[in-house]
Amino acid sequence: MPAITVRVNGLEVTKEVGARTLLSTFIREEMKLTGTHVGCDTSQCGACVVTINGKTVKSCATFAWEADGADIGTIEGLGDAENMHPMQEAFREHHGLQCGFCTPGMVMTAVNLVENNPDIDEDGIKHGLEGNICRCTGYQNIIDAVKTGAKAMRG
Amino acid sequence: MSTFVARNGIGESQRRVEDFRFLTGKGQYIDDVNLENQAYAMVLRSPEAHADIKSIDASEALALDGVLLVVTGEDWKAAGYGTIPTKSGVRKFKDGSDLKEPPHHAIAIDRVRYVGQPVALVVAESLDACRDALELIEVDYDSLPSVTHQSEAIKDGAPQIWDDIPNNICLDFELGDEEAQKKAFEDADQIITLELVNNRVTATPIEPRGAVADYDAETGKFTLWNASQNIHANRDTIADAVLKIGKENLHHIAPDVGGGFGGKNGVYQEPILILHAAREIKRPVKWINDRAESFLSDTHGRDQVSTVQLALDNDGTFRGLRTETVGNLGAFCGTVGPFTPTGGSSRTQGGPFRFDAIYYTAIAPFTNTCPLDPYRGAGRPEGSYQMDRIIDYAAAKLGMDPIELRRKNLIPESDLPMKSPMGLDIDCGNFPAVFEKTIEISDRAGFAKRKEASEAKGLKRGFGVCMYLECTGGGPKEEAKVVFRDDGKVELSVGTASTGMGHETVFAQLLAGHLGIDMDDIEFHQSDTDATDIGGGHGGSRGLEVGGSAVTQTSREIIEVGKKIAAHRFDVGADQVEFEEGRFHVPGTNHTMTISDAIDSQNDPDSLPDDLEPGCMNISTVFERGIISIPNGGHACEVEVDPDTGTIKVDGYWVVDDFGTIVNKMLADGQVMGGIAQGLGQALMENIVYDESGQLVTGSLMDYALPRADDMPRMVIDYYEDAPTQKNLLGVKGAGEAGCVGAPPAIVNAVCDALKEFGVHHIDMPLTPERVWRAIQDAKAEG
Amino acid sequence: MYDFGVKTPKSVDEVKTALGDSDDGQYLAGGQTLIPVLKQRLAMPSDLISLARVDGLSGIEAGGDSITIKAMTTHADVAANADIQSAIPALAKLAGGIGDPHVRNRGTMGGSVANNDPAADYPAAVLGLGATVVTTEREIEADNFFTGMFETALDEGELITEIRYPIPEAAGYIKFPNPATRYALVAVMAAKFGNTVRVAVTGAGPCVFRVPEMEQALTGNFSPDSVKDGMVPADDLNNDIHASRDYRAHLIGVLARRAVAEANG
Repeated sequence: MPAITVRVNGLEVTKEVGARTLLSTFIREEMKLTGTHVGCDTSQCGACVVTINGKTVKSCATFAWEADGADIGTIEGLGDAENMHPMQEAFREHHGLQCGFCTPGMVMTAVNLVENNPDIDEDGIKHGLEGNICRCTGYQNIIDAVKTGAKAMRG
Repeated sequence: MSTFVARNGIGESQRRVEDFRFLTGKGQYIDDVNLENQAYAMVLRSPEAHADIKSIDASEALALDGVLLVVTGEDWKAAGYGTIPTKSGVRKFKDGSDLKEPPHHAIAIDRVRYVGQPVALVVAESLDACRDALELIEVDYDSLPSVTHQSEAIKDGAPQIWDDIPNNICLDFELGDEEAQKKAFEDADQIITLELVNNRVTATPIEPRGAVADYDAETGKFTLWNASQNIHANRDTIADAVLKIGKENLHHIAPDVGGGFGGKNGVYQEPILILHAAREIKRPVKWINDRAESFLSDTHGRDQVSTVQLALDNDGTFRGLRTETVGNLGAFCGTVGPFTPTGGSSRTQGGPFRFDAIYYTAIAPFTNTCPLDPYRGAGRPEGSYQMDRIIDYAAAKLGMDPIELRRKNLIPESDLPMKSPMGLDIDCGNFPAVFEKTIEISDRAGFAKRKEASEAKGLKRGFGVCMYLECTGGGPKEEAKVVFRDDGKVELSVGTASTGMGHETVFAQLLAGHLGIDMDDIEFHQSDTDATDIGGGHGGSRGLEVGGSAVTQTSREIIEVGKKIAAHRFDVGADQVEFEEGRFHVPGTNHTMTISDAIDSQNDPDSLPDDLEPGCMNISTVFERGIISIPNGGHACEVEVDPDTGTIKVDGYWVVDDFGTIVNKMLADGQVMGGIAQGLGQALMENIVYDESGQLVTGSLMDYALPRADDMPRMVIDYYEDAPTQKNLLGVKGAGEAGCVGAPPAIVNAVCDALKEFGVHHIDMPLTPERVWRAIQDAKAEG
Repeated sequence: MYDFGVKTPKSVDEVKTALGDSDDGQYLAGGQTLIPVLKQRLAMPSDLISLARVDGLSGIEAGGDSITIKAMTTHADVAANADIQSAIPALAKLAGGIGDPHVRNRGTMGGSVANNDPAADYPAAVLGLGATVVTTEREIEADNFFTGMFETALDEGELITEIRYPIPEAAGYIKFPNPATRYALVAVMAAKFGNTVRVAVTGAGPCVFRVPEMEQALTGNFSPDSVKDGMVPADDLNNDIHASRDYRAHLIGVLARRAVAEANG
C-alpha cells in the first residue's frame, strides 16, 4: 500500500497503512487518539463513530486507505477538558453518560445531527441516534443533552 | 475552578468529575493500556457444546512467523494450577450435603462442556498472527450428547455433563415454612398458578472484556490490568487459588471500565491464561475480547423457569405464596452462580405484601451452556417478576382490579420494622405511600383519553404496575483512605469499583461536603490492590451504602483528629471544639482554625498534641455493614400495542423509589433509567438462544437486540425520602439494580392489560412482536 | 481479515483492468456489508477493487418519467435528494431507513443491489418500481435481475453503473425492521403505474419477490382492502429465530395494506 495523507482534527499526516488497517485502528494505534472506541465487530454499536469530510461513519467499517485525502474528525478534535464543545458541556450537564465508552461516538453523532438540522426535535434525535447503542443511561439524558447542545450550538 | 459542596455532601446533583475525561476522549479503558514490547493473545474457543478432546496439534501454528506460544490443557495439567472456585453464599443441599462443584480450570482439560469454552491460548507478535495461528491449531473432538435446557437437564437419562453429578444437579434449595404454606393454601378460597420463564440474557457492556498482564522475572511479581468490577477478591482467587503465586505477588488494577452490570464481576479464564503466558514468554501480554466472543464467553444471567402459586381469599386477601424454580447454571459454577436461583431469588419472595406464609424452592442444574453469574439484580428481578406477574394474572382470572389487589395487601407502615417470612429485616419504609405516589404521578386521569386515541388508530393501550421489594448485597466491608498531600491535593482511595456509576464524583462530593474542602482538590483512586488493603468492588448495589459510608466514617475520624489539633492550638479540651463548614472553632471565643490549617499542621510535631503522630490526619477506616438495606418502589408503565403486528411501544413510564437518603439525585435518576432500559430490553427483545446442538444462535449484535433511543419512553423518576435506614451511615438503600427489578413485570403487566379484551393474560418474555401476535391469535382461536 | 491487495481505479476501464489483473478480485463499494464479512474471515478475495474513486459513478439525475441513480450514490444522498423526495417519496423513505445514519453515509445503492441480501431494502425498490439496472455491459430489467439468495444476473466482473427508476403514479414502502439490525424482517413496496401495479416483498423469502395475486387485486382497485391475508403462502418463506414463516406471511398482508394506504396518501 502507498502512504495515505489525511487531516485528522485539522492536522495533516502522511503515513503508511496496511490494506487491512481499519480507520478505527489507524486512529487509535497510529494517531494515538484512543477516544475512538471499538465495541463490536458487526457495525452495530457506534462507539467508533468519527467524521469523514463532515459525515459520520463507523470507523470500524471503513479502511484507513479509503479515507486518503479526507478530513477526519474525532472526539479529541471537538474540545478539551478546559474548553469543551457545547455538546460536550450539555452531556455533562444532563448526565448523558455513565461509563463513557459509547460517549465519544454518541457525541460525534449528536454534533453532526445538529449541524445538519439545527432545529432537530425529539423524534429526529431518537432516529438520528439509531446507530449508537448506550447500555448505561436509558437514553433519556442523552436526548435531553442533545436538545440543550443544539440550543447552545444555535447560539 | 473551585467546587464547594454543602450539607455534608448530601442532596446536591453534583455534575460529574469523570465526565471531563470521558467526554473528551481521555478515558483510559483496557484497550488503551499498552506496554512496551507487548505481545497479543487470542483464545481458541470450543465449537462443540460437549465433546472429548482427543488431541490438540499446535505444531503448524507454532511454526508460523510471529507466533510465540500456544497454551493448552496439557500445559495447565503440567503446571498443576488450581481451579476457579465458586464463592456462592449457598453451599448446602436441602439435606445438608455439600453443593457439587466441578473443577473449573481456566482452560479446557480433556473435555469441553460449552461452545466458547477456552481450548487454547495463542500468543503472537500481532493480532493478525494470532488469528492465522488459531486457524492452524487442529483439535480432534469426539462429540458427546449435550443438553442446554434446565428442564431437560434434570431428567433421568439426560446427557451427563459431569460424570459424578447425578441429574446434573449442582444444588437444591428451600426457604420458608412449607407446612405453613400448605396450611395457608388449604385455608384460602382460591389458588392461582402461573408458569413463568425468566429469559436468559447477557449484560453486554459496550466495552468488551480485556486484560493486560505483565511479569517481572526479577521480583517474581505480576501486574494485571483488567476490565473487572471486582479487583481485590478476584486478585485473591487468581493469585492464591489458581496460580498459587501468593496474592502479595499480584498487583491487580482496573482502568476505566466501560460498563459492567455484573458481567465483569466474576473471575474469568482469559486474564489467568495471559498471566501464565506473560511469565512463559517474559513479555507483557494483551488480550481483548471481540463482541462475538463476548456473547460466547461473558457470563449470562437470569434463565429460570418457575411455577408460581398464589393463594388468596375471595375478597382478595393474600394468604400464601409458593414458588418452585429451576435455574440454569451453565456448564460450571460461576463465581457466585449457584447463589442466584437459590438464595438470590428467594429472599424477596412475597415483595412488599402481607402473607400468612411463603415457601420457595429451587433446583440449580448444570447444562452445556456458558456459565451463569450475576447480571444486574441477580435473583431479585426474577423474584419481583414472579410476584408482580402472579398478582396481575390472578386479578385477570378472578376479575379483580390489579391496583386494588395490591393496595389491599401492601404491608402497612405500622407493621414495620418486621422480619419478612423470608427472613429479611425490613426496618423502614412506607409501601402504601410509595404505591399511592406512583399511581398519583402516572396520570391515571388522562388514561381513558389516551386509550380512546389509541383505539382510533386501531391500537390497544394498557397500564401496568409493579411494586417491588429489593435487598442489597455484595461485600459487607469497605475501606476509604484519605491522604493529604503536600501539594494541597487530597487522595481519596475507596475499594469499590465504579463502572460508570459516578463514584469518583459522589465520594468526592461526600468527602468535600464533610470536610469543607474544595472538591476539585480531590484525586480519586479505586480498583487497585495497591491503593486500598481491602475492596469489595461493585455488586449488589453496594457502592454508596458501604463505600459512601466508609467515606463518611473516614471523614468523621479526620474531623475528630482535627479537633484535637485545634484544641492543642487553642489550649482547650477537644470536646470544646466544634466543626462546621470547614472550620474548627471554640464556641464563645474567637478561636477558629480552618481544615487546611489543621492539615498543614499535621506534619509539624510542634503543632500536635502528644498523642498524635505526624500524618495523623491521613486516615483509612473500614466500614462494615451489619444488615443489607431494603430498597423498594413502584413502577408504572403505559404501552400501546399494534394487534395486527404485535409491536409494542412503551409510551409512558413512572417510578417512585424509596432509596432512603438521596445523596445525588442526578446520579440516582441515571441508575434508575439505565436499569429500566435493561429491564425493557429483557421484557421486549433480549434473548440468549442456544439451538438443540448447543450452538449459540444469538452470537452477535445482529441477533441479540439491545434497546436503542427510539425504543425508550420518557421516564418520570421520583423518590420517597421519608424513610432513611439506620443500617448505614448515610441512610441510603442501594439504587443500582432497582430499575431492572421493577421494569420487566411492569411492562409485561401493561401489555397483558392492553390485550385482556382478547383473553391474553400471559406471554413469556421477551415479548417480541411475533409472540404478542401469536398470543392474540391463540386466544382468538380458543374463543 | 485475511490479507489482500488494494486497487483504486479511476475509470470504468481501469476497473476492468484491475479485475483482470486480480486472481480473485472483489469490488468494494461502501463496504458496510463487505468489511464486517472480511473481518470475520468469511471471505478471502485476493484484491479489493475500490469503486469509490471511479469517475461518473455517483449522482442523481431526474428525467421526465424516471429518476436515474448512479451506483455509488450513498443511501444518505438518495434519502436527502429533493427530486426523489417529490417524485418517488417511497424511495427516499426506503433509503432513509436503511441501517443507521452512519451506514447510510457510506453504504451505496449499487453495492446493496449487487449483494442482493434477502433482507436488504433496495431490492424491494428495484423490483417494486420495475427499475432498469444498467451495467457496464447491458441493461437488465428488474424482473430478470434478482435470481436467488445473494444471487443476481450480473456476470463475473459486470458492474452496475446506474439504476433507472420509473416514476410511479403512487408508491408506498413499509418495513418491519429487525430490532437488532434494522434490516427488513419483512418489507413491502407497492407501486401503481397507470393500470399496472407492482408489489415487491423483501426480507420474507430467500430473495425479493413479487406477489402477482396482490398486484392483480390491486390493479382492479388500488385500495388496502384489495389485499387479503393468505395471498402469499407461508411454505417457501424464511423461518429463523427472528420470525417464523407464518408470521412473515401474515406480516406481508399487513404491510402491503399499509404500503398501499401510504401510496394513496
